[in-house]
Parts: sequence; structure tokens; C-alpha cells
Amino acid sequence: MVLADLGRKITSALKLLSNATIINEEVLNEMLKEICTALIQADVNIKLVKQLRENVRSVIDFDEMAGGLNKRRMIQSAVFKELVKLIDPGVKAWQPTKGKSNVIMFVGLQGSGKTTTCSKLAFYYQKKGWKTCLICADTFRAGAFDQLKQNATKARIPFYGSYTEIDPVIIAREGVEKFRLENFEIIIVDTSGRHKQEDSLFEEMLEVSNAVDPDNIVFVMDASIGQACEAQARAFKEKVDVASVIITKLDSHAKGGGALSAVAATKSPVIFIGTGEHIDDFESFKVQPFVSKLLGMGDIEGLIDK
Amino acid sequence: MFSMFRNLVGSKTLTKEDMQSVLEKMKDHIIAKNVAADIAQKLCDSVATKLEGKVLGTFSSVTSTVKNTLNESCVQILSPRRRVDILRDAMEAKQHNRPYNIVFCGVNGVGKSTNLAKICFWLVENGFRVLIAACDTFRAGAVEQLRTHTRKLNVLHPAEKHNGQQMVQLYEKGYGKDAAGIAMEAIRYAQDTHIDIVLIDTAGRMQDNEPLMKALAKLINVNNPDLVLFVGEALVGNEAVDQLTKFNQALADNSNMTNPRLIDGIILTKFDTIDDKVGAAISMTYTTGQPIVFVGTGQTYTDLRNLNAKAVVHALLRA
Ligand SMILES: Nc1nc2c(ncn2[C@@H]2O[C@H](COP(=O)(O)OP(=O)(O)OP(=O)(O)O)[C@@H](O)[C@H]2O)c(=O)[nH]1
Ligand SMILES: Nc1nc2c(ncn2[C@@H]2O[C@H](COP(=O)(O)OP(=O)(O)OP(=O)(O)O)[C@@H](O)[C@H]2O)c(=O)[nH]1
Ligand SMILES: [Mg+2]
Ligand SMILES: [Mg+2]
Repeated sequence: MVLADLGRKITSALKLLSNATIINEEVLNEMLKEICTALIQADVNIKLVKQLRENVRSVIDFDEMAGGLNKRRMIQSAVFKELVKLIDPGVKAWQPTKGKSNVIMFVGLQGSGKTTTCSKLAFYYQKKGWKTCLICADTFRAGAFDQLKQNATKARIPFYGSYTEIDPVIIAREGVEKFRLENFEIIIVDTSGRHKQEDSLFEEMLEVSNAVDPDNIVFVMDASIGQACEAQARAFKEKVDVASVIITKLDSHAKGGGALSAVAATKSPVIFIGTGEHIDDFESFKVQPFVSKLLGMGDIEGLIDK
Repeated sequence: MFSMFRNLVGSKTLTKEDMQSVLEKMKDHIIAKNVAADIAQKLCDSVATKLEGKVLGTFSSVTSTVKNTLNESCVQILSPRRRVDILRDAMEAKQHNRPYNIVFCGVNGVGKSTNLAKICFWLVENGFRVLIAACDTFRAGAVEQLRTHTRKLNVLHPAEKHNGQQMVQLYEKGYGKDAAGIAMEAIRYAQDTHIDIVLIDTAGRMQDNEPLMKALAKLINVNNPDLVLFVGEALVGNEAVDQLTKFNQALADNSNMTNPRLIDGIILTKFDTIDDKVGAAISMTYTTGQPIVFVGTGQTYTDLRNLNAKAVVHALLRA
């Protein structure tokens, strides 16, 4: 993932600080340039990158400060704070409650991996002993119900959907009602892919959300996305109450930096990552341990303010 | 005080230093519009090289000169050296009594199957009979997805309107089978039953996934299609470069031909989801030198366009 791969580049950029005899504006700029280039190559939103640069710069006043060690420390910890901000929205990840019906609704752009990830998440909870099911509220995409049905059947997960009903709101409502009555604990609702430019699709998403009253809305984002992510993610958040992010296709060469802007735009943490097409190519993602690991890496150790 | 008139007096020979800050801004601008970072850098470097030493006209500023040159470069990148004319080539194949075969490939979820269906609709509208070969035998629902499209397309173009001929057929062998073999059977079936065009759908695959890339190369090797189209989404960022480079590389590395078949053209999908962040068009064409044959602009059969290079560059450079 982006920050993990960036670790090396950032370490080497930070070495510029340790190697320099005096820390001046020039050294700082050179270091920031390296870090920003790496972030931009990883698709991190350019506005966020510029902000990071400004925020780090604003911490240091070269005229006022003395003492090389102090400057080094301040710069390094400012860099870390900003990097952590990219991935940690400062919100606790949603957790389902045992013994009650937890409705999880999936939303996202076309082809981002919603249907595949729905099955992965269902499989994950089922393996942990939760009573789990899937609902296909995508009546638009050709073969959508077959896709979910085949995935669910293979993993022996109960599912609900229809070949004839064309209104996703009705399917979603009926499915959730049915599974609530049967005391399912994890009820996952898959929806069609959509984008902010098409109002009717966004309106439909809101209607499905209102019909099923989800406990958690997951925004699914493809790791290869570039600069368009931020505006889309923000629009989804404005329409429905997105509370979690899942980044898919991290088995690709992509670093997922573009997808990270969904974290800032939706103020929601990444809860899982997808790392392949198979149902168990799925890893839970915890922001805090990830950040500690990042901060604990090699030369970086002990740089953050205690 | 007089500095504001600087550009008006006399002529000036451009140096790299004059252009640097403008170019830096331009680079950030096109990166924000989703051009891959390395390509943005290369583009700006080439603009600098082109302009260095040029004498600036009396009334032109450095900024507008740089911008115009960048504009020209981008239009040039997007303007194909070679036109892909599917209707003409398919007609020619038909005259030689053989089907015209197109392979659709790309990473997962970019819109291969959907845009295959749109192109099928366009071909049927132009009077061709089409066989869709379901060679994604892996992803759940992939076959049913194409079956649904086949049914819908036949409803739009019923046999009654075409001298009793069914315009679209599906060739499928379910899941788990070898894709290259199914493609071969489909082409043979089209040949035997006088179907004009075979559209070969393939499973999405990551460019680093060696076994899957080998399998694609095999499919292309053994069937030697008339056209290999790479499907890429306009949403993709820096990854566009790596995808295209590695697809081409895998096709070249795994070929037994002296002139290996590579990507012949690009379908740029989801163009309706990116507002003015049109940079992927530049990244993809710059990387391959191949034309964008179609642009996908939505989820229905008519959402298929030709690329308008000037409009794309306009959106790219607009503030
Ligand atoms: N390599 C890889 N492929 C994935 C991953 N997650 C999903 N995919 C693939 O991405 C493609 C699209 O996935 P879907 O689950 O159909 O996406 P979707 O968001 O439901 O698509 P729509 O319903 O059409 O909007 C499929 O080929 C999946 O197999 C992943 O983590 N890694
Ligand atoms: N907005 C928009 N959506 C598109 C476009 N083209 C395809 N899609 C949508 O993208 C999603 C994925 O399309 P598919 O055709 O299944 O993609 P694929 O590349 O065949 O996917 P895999 O076979 O799973 O790798 C579907 O929801 C399509 O409706 C487009 O031009 N615009
Ligand atoms: Mg889906
Ligand atoms: Mg497909």
C-alpha cells in the first residue's frame, strides 16, 4: 500500500536532513520535493500533496530558530504528522454488534469491486461465526445477480435477489426485512456502480439507503484510481452516510495513493483491503497498527514527538 | 515599473530558465488533470527543448508561448498516425469470406464486456452479424452478463428486421475452460456459419500476474485476431503507463512470431465520470503511440464516441 511502499523513499528523503551539516531552506525544499514527487507518483491527490508541503514548511521558521538538532526533529515529526493525516481520519472504525442485525451497504463507482468485495466480507464474517447473508440490489448491470449468486453459492452464504424485479429499492427492502426476521447478524447489500455526474443514480442510492437504514455504508475504491477520486468520494459522502472505505485491487502494481483521498473526502477509515480476485484475497486493515509500523520503520524510529 | 512592459519591447531569445516556472506550473496543472507524473514531466521537457533558443515574437509572453506549444504537443499525441477503420476492414474480411476478429483485453473492471456490447450494437446497426465469444471463463457471472447483452441486442435488432437472420449470437462453453481454445472454436464457428465479426471477451487481469498474462498472450498468438483492443478506464492514474507497458511487454515476450502482435488500439472507458480530469487519454496514447479507437461515455449501448482530440486538450489545459 501507498505509505508502506513510500516508506523507503521517505526514509531516503529524510536522510537528506541527517546528512546535511546545516538545515536551511534549501535542504528542506529538496527533501519536500522528493517526498512530494513520490506521493504524486503514487497518485495521492495533488491538493493533499500541496497541503502537506505547506503544512511542513509552515512549522519551520528559519530566521527564528537555532540548533540543527531541533530543526531536524521538528521537520521530521511534521512530515510524519502529515503522512499519518493522509491515512488516519481520526475516526474509530465501525464494528458490528453480536446478536443483532447489522446492515452493511456497499456503494462505489462502476467496476470498483463492490460485488466481489461483498462476498469477501460476507465470507470473512461467516468464517468468524457470524450469521451472514448477501443481498443483490443491483438490477442494472447485466449478470449482476448471477455474479453474486455464484459467489454466494460457492461460499455457502445465503443470498437474496431477483431476476424479474427491476426496482433495487424494493429488493433491498424485502431482502433486509426477510433476513432481519431470520435473525441474520451480518446483512450485506450490494448496489449498482454509479458516479456523481448522473443524478438519478445518486438519487437511487439515497432511496436504497433510506429503505434499508444501514448501520454502515462502505465506499469501495479501486487502487488504480488517479486524481478523479476525491471529487467522486466527496459526492458519495454528501449523498449518503459513508462510514468506511475498502480499497480493492491492491495486488496490482498500483500503490493506492489516489484511493487514499477517499479517506480524507469521506472522513472514513480504510477497514479492509482487497488483494486478488479470490474470496479470501482480503485483509483487514487497522489504521493505528499500520501507522505504528510505518513510524517504526528503520531510520524513522523515534522521530515522532513522544 | 517598466518591468510590466518587458514583453513588448524588442525580441527575446527563450532560455530554459525563462520557462522554468511556467513549465513547473503547467506540469502541476496537467498532473491535477490526471496525466501520469512521469509523462507530465516528459511533456514539459519536450516543450522546453522545442522552445529553447526560439525568438519570442513581439507581443507574445512566455506563458502563452509555452501553453500554445504544450497544446500542440498534446493534440499531436492524441492524433493517431494510423487510423483504425473497423467497418472498412470488416467489410473487406467479409468479401474474403472470413470473419473479422477483435480481442478485448485489460485489467479488472474497466469495462471490457460492456464496451464490447456497445461495439456489437454499433456493428449490428451497420448491418454486420456478430458472434460474441465468452472467453472470460473465470469471473462469476461473466457468461450470464454476455448472455443478457446478446438477448437485449437481439430484441433491439430482431431477426424479422434482418431477413430472418439472427444478428447477435453467443459462443460460450461455461466456466473453467481454456480461453484460447474457446476463441478458436468461436472463430471456426463464425467461419462455418458465415458470421461477419467475432468479438472476443477476455477476463480482466492485473498486468503483473504472470500466468494470466501468459494465457492472454497465448490466446492472441494462436488466434492471431485482426485487432487487439486494450480497454482502459479514464479514471486510472499513474498506473495507466504500467498497464499498457506491461500488456505490450507480455504480448511481445510470449510470442513466437517474428513480429509479435501487440495492442493495436485503445478503448477509453468511463469518460463520463471524470469531469475535466482527462489526463489518462494522454498517458495512454503517449505510452503506446496507438490511437484511442473509442471513448466510452456511459452504460448504455449508444454511449460510444470517437475521441475529439481538440476538445480533450482544451479540457486538459483549461484552468
Ligand atoms: N485483482 C483483483 N481484482 C479484483 C479485486 N476486487 C475485485 N476485482 C475484480 O474487479 C472486477 C470488477 O469487480 P466487481 O466486483 O464486479 O465490481 P463492481 O464494483 O461490483 O462492478 P459494478 O457492479 O459493475 O459497478 C472483477 O473482475 C473482479 O474480479 C482485487 O482485490 N484484486
Ligand atoms: N459510467 C460508465 N460506466 C461504464 C462505462 N463502461 C463500462 N461501465 C461500467 O463499468 C462496470 C464494469 O464493466 P464491465 O464491462 O463488466 O467491465 P469488465 O472490464 O468486463 O470487468 P471484468 O470482466 O470483471 O474484468 C459496469 O458497471 C459497467 O456498466 C462507461 O463508459 N461509463
Ligand atoms: Mg457489482
Ligand atoms: Mg468482463
